Amino acid sequence: MSLDPTHTFDTSVKLALYGITAESGRIPGLNAVAERVGDTPAAVKEAYARLRAQRLLWLEANGVTVRMAPPFSGVPTQHQVTVDGIEYYANCAWDALGISAALHRPGLVRSRCEQSLAPFELHVGLEGPEPSSWLFHCLVPAARWWDDLVFT
Amino acid sequence: MLFFRSEELIDAWCRTRGVTPRPIVRMDQLWQLAVTWYSTRLEAESRRPAPNEMRSIFEDLGLAGDFWDPTTDMFG
Repeated sequence: MSLDPTHTFDTSVKLALYGITAESGRIPGLNAVAERVGDTPAAVKEAYARLRAQRLLWLEANGVTVRMAPPFSGVPTQHQVTVDGIEYYANCAWDALGISAALHRPGLVRSRCEQSLAPFELHVGLEGPEPSSWLFHCLVPAARWWDDLVFT
Repeated sequence: MLFFRSEELIDAWCRTRGVTPRPIVRMDQLWQLAVTWYSTRLEAESRRPAPNEMRSIFEDLGLAGDFWDPTTDMFG
């Protein structure tokens, strides 16, 4: 990926982070993002804080580990998505569908029913998921989603 | 934000935890939310919907009420 000189630094950092994640299925570490944007890890860390303020990233307390770059998760979850042979983890059920939406590619969601633990597979095409009677439930009201995004 | 196989299983999950069941979202509605939130996420100008935009998005999908209002203090 080449850097676009018209982008702000924060935009370059965001695109680098998301680009590496899309290519690899894993949210990269600080140094990999710094290398891609051609700047220092310290500068990238500062950009992370600004992107967090825009609610585009969720950081661990150290300020350098990206726990969530929605819809992608930085840690394994029960929501796995396969797109073009690459395995991704989603933060939640919403984000499980969001990965195909973000990548503009068909995908296969593998998750579970949280009560029965029955496995759930859902094929997602470019126009949306196959018909399914499964449901989505969110306990936390919209006004509180970012109070604790991990819990949400 | 979880998947469930049926409404009965959502109710059972909530009962077990002593929490109030919330509005249920179908897969077709969830796809629309996913597209709205994330279809431009890998692009330079992407951003998260603003609160007033979120309200409108939810209402267009039939998801109305305080639960879906990002500015409400009803759940303080």
